[in-house]
Amino acid sequence: MDNYSYRLYSQILTLFWRVLLGLLGIAAVIVIFPYVKSILVLFVIALLLAVLLSPSVDFMERRGINRGLAIVIVMLLIIGIIAFTVSLIIPGIIGAVESLSSKLQSDVITDLNNNIENFFAVNFNNAELARNITSKMNEIGLKLLSNMAEFFKNVGSFLASVAIVPFLTFFLIKDMRFFKRALIAKIPNKYFEMSLNVLQKVGNQVSKYIQGQALDAFIVGCLSVLGLFIINLVFDNPVSQFVFIGMIAGVANLIPYLGPIVGAVPALLIAVISNPPNLGVVLLWIIITFILVQVIDNSFVSPMVVSKSVDMHPLTVVIVVIIGGNLAGAVGMLFAVPVTGIIKVTIAEIVWGLKHYKLS
Amino acid sequence: MSSPIWEVVSFRGSKKSDDIFNALKNVPLFEDLNPKELKEIEKIIHRREYKKGEPIFRMGDPGLGMYIIIRGAVNIVEETETGKSHILAVLNDGAFFGDLALLDEAPRSASAIADDNCDILGFFRPDFLNLLYRRPELGIKILFALAKIIGERLRRTNEQLAKLEQK
Repeated sequence: MDNYSYRLYSQILTLFWRVLLGLLGIAAVIVIFPYVKSILVLFVIALLLAVLLSPSVDFMERRGINRGLAIVIVMLLIIGIIAFTVSLIIPGIIGAVESLSSKLQSDVITDLNNNIENFFAVNFNNAELARNITSKMNEIGLKLLSNMAEFFKNVGSFLASVAIVPFLTFFLIKDMRFFKRALIAKIPNKYFEMSLNVLQKVGNQVSKYIQGQALDAFIVGCLSVLGLFIINLVFDNPVSQFVFIGMIAGVANLIPYLGPIVGAVPALLIAVISNPPNLGVVLLWIIITFILVQVIDNSFVSPMVVSKSVDMHPLTVVIVVIIGGNLAGAVGMLFAVPVTGIIKVTIAEIVWGLKHYKLS
Repeated sequence: MSSPIWEVVSFRGSKKSDDIFNALKNVPLFEDLNPKELKEIEKIIHRREYKKGEPIFRMGDPGLGMYIIIRGAVNIVEETETGKSHILAVLNDGAFFGDLALLDEAPRSASAIADDNCDILGFFRPDFLNLLYRRPELGIKILFALAKIIGERLRRTNEQLAKLEQK
């Protein structure tokens, strides 16, 4: 074998091993992902919380409070606020759902069963068939209810897992610098400065983006609550639980383009169910309110608080939201855009680093 | 004539020590810090080892921070577009370099190449800015020391300029 052939052979062999290792890596990720999905979601939530709470912790540290103590104080405050809000909202929601379901059970289901039985008895002279159909329907209904029980059981286990989040968040805020330092210590000298610089830039941009999104969501939530509160005042309370709906609107606003619709639908549904005398006008005002909130958000709030470095094409948003939904359900849909934003910023900064540092 | 930028302004002695704490104590940038504050710096400093001939940073790279030599020697080298290079300074144990990069990301004005196997500490702008935000009283002490070092260099540059003008 001549020298050229030998070099070519060795290059092909190297390429073969690289491709094989790459494919094995991808296969390993696909195999492992279902097992680590839930902990990965919890970790992402903890990481987002750590980024959101860090400025408050830094603020307290500036005033001479020990960092560990500052984290505990901030987290207790946040848990307190969440518990207070939940205790205010949940009983109202449970009450509304109970009254709705009892109304449906007593009136609608019984009426429906009677109507079907009468319909078959009168038209087909076959009450037996009617009874079979209604019992089948009731069976389906029971199945749905038991599925719902299963759903709530899952929610229970989800909430138990969520209890891990505060611990993860605590250590992420406290030791993030040390994690970064430990990570960067493993980088070869050649890439050290570039990696440190890129990591820092990504960290800064991601923090700004997440903090901006959270502030934007908070403002949109407050504006929605205010708008629905005014509608309630003017039209004799057609949208009960308006605080909860405003919160949904705020959180849904994390998903660009789709979020505002997700935010408006519950308000419209509740108005339809409560069926006020001037339903058409109420629905119109709810739509106007949400459009107004979006106009204010897009014209004033968002340009000021949300980083433009992660702007995405609407089609990209739709695709990543679908992928997020497939990977991790509703939570995946909610975090799809921020996570894509983080990946986009990371790639942009790595490209910047490769362009500006002499690595040869 | 050597450039004042790469002159070691002052460092107290050249006592060899592989203890980070002691190495930091001898750097003028940290001379006003008390032991507790030095411990805080120790937490954010990066320790690296470079082999002889390995670049620490290259001329034109975005500036990121300063380095302190614990053990070894570093050549500060200017590289020309034609590929030639000449040594501006040779720095040894206890010396520090690249401190201007604590202020901004301006491209490095020269390369730093390990002239021997080196044990080096890195103190970087992002960590410094974060420290300045979290512990302003400590950050200001370092900033003031940095201003003094830059002032000293400026004074030396002016003196050299004056000498040149006289010639």
